[in-house]
Amino acid sequence: MASVSELYDVGWEEMRDKLRKWREDNSRNSEQIVDVGEELISDHASKLGDDVWIIYEQVMIAALDCSRDDLALTCLQELRKQFPDSHRVKRLTGMRLEALERYDEANKHYDAILEDDPTNTAARKRKISILKAQGKNGEAIRELNEYLEHIALWHSHDLAIPAFCLEELMMTNPHNHLYCEQYAEVKYTQGGLENLELSRKYFSQALRLNNRNMRALFGLYMSASHIAASPKVSAKVKKDNIKYAAWAANQINRAYKLAGRGTKENKCSMKAVEEMLDSMQITMS
Amino acid sequence: MPIQLTSQAYCKMLLHTAKYPHCAVNGLLIAEKSKEKKKDGHGVPVLCVDCVPLFHGTLALAPMLEVALTLIDTWCKENNYIIAGYYQANERKKDSKPNQVAEKVAARITENFSEAAIVMVDNSRLTVSCSEPIVVIYDHHENKWRNREVTMGSFEDWSEAQKITSALLVGRSYENLIDFDNHLDDLRNDWTNPVINKSVLDLC
Repeated sequence: MASVSELYDVGWEEMRDKLRKWREDNSRNSEQIVDVGEELISDHASKLGDDVWIIYEQVMIAALDCSRDDLALTCLQELRKQFPDSHRVKRLTGMRLEALERYDEANKHYDAILEDDPTNTAARKRKISILKAQGKNGEAIRELNEYLEHIALWHSHDLAIPAFCLEELMMTNPHNHLYCEQYAEVKYTQGGLENLELSRKYFSQALRLNNRNMRALFGLYMSASHIAASPKVSAKVKKDNIKYAAWAANQINRAYKLAGRGTKENKCSMKAVEEMLDSMQITMS
Repeated sequence: MPIQLTSQAYCKMLLHTAKYPHCAVNGLLIAEKSKEKKKDGHGVPVLCVDCVPLFHGTLALAPMLEVALTLIDTWCKENNYIIAGYYQANERKKDSKPNQVAEKVAARITENFSEAAIVMVDNSRLTVSCSEPIVVIYDHHENKWRNREVTMGSFEDWSEAQKITSALLVGRSYENLIDFDNHLDDLRNDWTNPVINKSVLDLC
């Protein structure tokens, strides 16, 4: 089988840079990481300098995703040799045990870390992941209440929890259009006129932060259309929302036209969008 | 009326599942609209000729789901298709029961197509060789979703479906599978998946 460097005609530096980019982007493209990383480690480890350790960590985690326990163990052993008392490596040991579904042993490792360092958030996150993997959602939620800031739980049927988490996230990350847009989606899903109006406002805010967010655009269209169609709103509110919806529809059409330039295939999407927007206009009036 | 899956429908469902092994995924099953209304329709299977992969990760949020359903419904009308069912693969390996999301979407679909089915993918049996069918089919009977035995008759041609799905999984074609989420990230991504459809045809 051809090597990655032969297949893609790349040198070891490019492979190393690709791995760095995937680390920075937090991509979970584990198969690719394993392909590139395994070759880099086996053929060029000596050239990587201090980068080699973080690459071992990255490849180890990707290997677990791909059921490559042989590779994961190799990386782990190198890391253990180099950093014998490290909490970070202990966490990796725990992750390997999780992948092998040896949850009790994994938890022992994480508890040991937390005894030594109760602020270690990585170990806490792993414990919650184990509860999730075991289907113990109730316990996971209780654990999460101690660690709410950066995790949204979508498994409870009560959307109040993800809504609360997103509110915290929006406060600390006011420029992040994704949190804004997701919050709007949660509000929309919770339903009711008040939530719909809130959702419309947050979709608009997301668009202000990033005017190319298609989900925000569609969301604005849907929420404004539903508000306009509601029998409970005043004539002015109805009129305003028809305006918002019309603006959004226009932007959506433009976005599709732009995307469809030069490709024949996308015409079907565009036509479907035009028809959808037309049909919804009828229900609003 | 039981549903039957073509190779294209089955294989795209599995490719979607394989593309996001760490997420739940879902999608719609598409059938051809039959012109004649058979009065005695019992036992005549509904052939699902295709599927449209929808989302991965968070499946439970309403607005994009509404957009997708409306858009795909419009597309179906233009092509004489109808949305005939819903598929879902859950996030956890050992969990293959339909949840609230599945039931809600299926209820929506049932409004337009009374024989709508839920197809759940059994993640624990997903293999590259595809030696056996790994779907569980649920029908709506007396207000409950009950699962029905999946046989070779649930497929238009099981050995063809098996051969094609296995080949595409081995070749990692799932890397190029487009779902509605991918489309929302970049409108140029085509959720009808013409490239994969062509690969399926070439392998027939």
